[in-house]
Amino acid sequence: MMLPFLIIIPLFGAFSMPIVSLLGKKIKEYWAAIISGVTFVVSARVFYTVWKTNEIILYTLGSDSPVGRGVKFPIRIVWEVDLFGALLALTIAFVSFLAVIYSLGYMKHDTGLEKYYTLILVLEVGMLGIVITGDIFNFYVFLEIMSIASYALVAFRNDTWEGIEAGIKYMFVGSLASSFILLGIALLYGQYGTLTMSYLAIKIAENPTLVAKLALAFFIGGLLFKSGAVPVHMWLADAHPAAPSSISAMLSGLVIKAGGIYAIARIVFGIFNPGLHAYLRAFNAPAVNMNVVGWIIVFFACLTLLVGNAMAVVQTDMKRLFAFSSVGQIGYILLGIGIGTLAYGTKAGELGLAGAIYHIVNHALIKALLFLVAGAVIHQVGTKNLNELSGLAKRMPLTTFSFVIGAAAIIGLPPLNGFASKWIIYESSAMYNPILAAIAVVGTVFSLAAYTRVLFTFLGRESDTVKEAKDPEKSMMLPVLTLVVIIIVMGLLPWQISDKIMIPTARMLEQLNGEYIMALLKFIGGA
Amino acid sequence: MIPLQFVTAFLMVFMGIYAFLYKRNLIKLILALNLIDAGIHLLLISLGYRLENGILPTAPIYTGYETLKGTPMVGPIPQALVLTSIVIGVCVLSLAMALTINAYRHYRTLDVNKLRRLRG
Repeated sequence: MMLPFLIIIPLFGAFSMPIVSLLGKKIKEYWAAIISGVTFVVSARVFYTVWKTNEIILYTLGSDSPVGRGVKFPIRIVWEVDLFGALLALTIAFVSFLAVIYSLGYMKHDTGLEKYYTLILVLEVGMLGIVITGDIFNFYVFLEIMSIASYALVAFRNDTWEGIEAGIKYMFVGSLASSFILLGIALLYGQYGTLTMSYLAIKIAENPTLVAKLALAFFIGGLLFKSGAVPVHMWLADAHPAAPSSISAMLSGLVIKAGGIYAIARIVFGIFNPGLHAYLRAFNAPAVNMNVVGWIIVFFACLTLLVGNAMAVVQTDMKRLFAFSSVGQIGYILLGIGIGTLAYGTKAGELGLAGAIYHIVNHALIKALLFLVAGAVIHQVGTKNLNELSGLAKRMPLTTFSFVIGAAAIIGLPPLNGFASKWIIYESSAMYNPILAAIAVVGTVFSLAAYTRVLFTFLGRESDTVKEAKDPEKSMMLPVLTLVVIIIVMGLLPWQISDKIMIPTARMLEQLNGEYIMALLKFIGGA
Repeated sequence: MIPLQFVTAFLMVFMGIYAFLYKRNLIKLILALNLIDAGIHLLLISLGYRLENGILPTAPIYTGYETLKGTPMVGPIPQALVLTSIVIGVCVLSLAMALTINAYRHYRTLDVNKLRRLRG
């Protein structure tokens, strides 16, 4: 059983870091790289197991069975990993590994590095915990582990006002959102007396009260905060540019997905399953109207993808532009999830969900690449203002090439990986409602305008600030080029990946036959 | 009839949200966050409290005591949850205070409205 090591290894690495760093000057870097590398191998093993057997892994902490002795309901903390969780765990471990490698060169001139590497591993633990847990309070604990580590990392360079201001804004908004989520958990626990997600699903289907709907509202509200959807996206545009670039890559690529999108999908499809509630409504039984939830998600998705991409066009700060572009891309993912909720059980719903999952993975890779490129530029030139950066292409050819690949992929040009996922989202939204597809395409036009502007800056006439610039050292170029290769390779096999991985993942998340619930019911017996 | 402790808990949460929206001092904002958390903790802990036949429930750690006369026991899970949540709250509080000190060093003010050099 490999699953517990997914948490044990990075947690051990994080808390042994201060001791290990006493041993020598360079050891802490290598220790962080080894730990995150081993975590990546473990996550690949877990993903392969789940993908091969196509079965949900249910692991109980400290026992064989989640069911308590002498009672007929689960009382222990369970971890429940389906293909969606395993796929995200793989993405998280991979991008974190690359971010750590990148930090070897990028953070060389900073002090307090043992704290930095401890925090980065704690951040990884938090995200991995969120995607494998099956207990809603355990989810909250991991969410807070992740959030606290990311607040601290945003403010890591505390000698600059930029990091501190962004950190404070991020922390207040994030803590308020966490409080909403905790309130939702308290309400659900008070009403149903259980914290296991799949058992909550059964209990809510038996008796969906007003309290359950209120809790759902608190969850969706809090998680939209955390994922940076539009009316509450301002913290994201401040926090992601202010962090060190390796952290920006993790924040934009992973944190808003694990702590926001993944949790929304898990709560909507795992706890309040649309199919289950539509079935109840068909018999006039009391049920939560999940269509309303779906339309709320779609509404925020459309707003997010329009405003995020449009705001990206007017930015002069390169990292801020990428951050707003992240907001826009979150809109596409939310749109896919919203259509998956609305058109549950039909072809369009399945495609929408598959597109959303595909885009989560693709955007994690692409946005990590873009932020790492921005970090390379900052490291070599010392500014991220687009007006001073013209003409980098001649001085930093490899970096510029990587940027071109990343920008083309995020706009969705055909031979790269962003194309397939965006295409699936367009296709599913066109099948459900053509107006949504039109809105999504308008968002892409804005995104195209924003990235073309950066591209012209890179290719333009050489300015004085970039005369001395050259491509950064190997340890920084290696993760960037790895990402470029993966983006191109994934772009060459778009439909194979979609059929082999993303569609099964969407089916498993959708759980048409209640697989997520059945994995627990096997232990209870009967029912 | 809603029990009084639930009303108090939600009052505390709303007071916290009010302070969070209308106060401008960083320290007060941190207190507001803690007030919201405290309200939720009160809600959670009072979920585990139950009165059976008018006998006061005991804490679950006195196991010998409660088996003696069959006195009711308060729910142990909310207590575990609240303990965990308090620890998390302390982490957030200490980080918030550290950031506030740093912000004061850079800006020479605790007014959150003055913290807006970042823009775009």
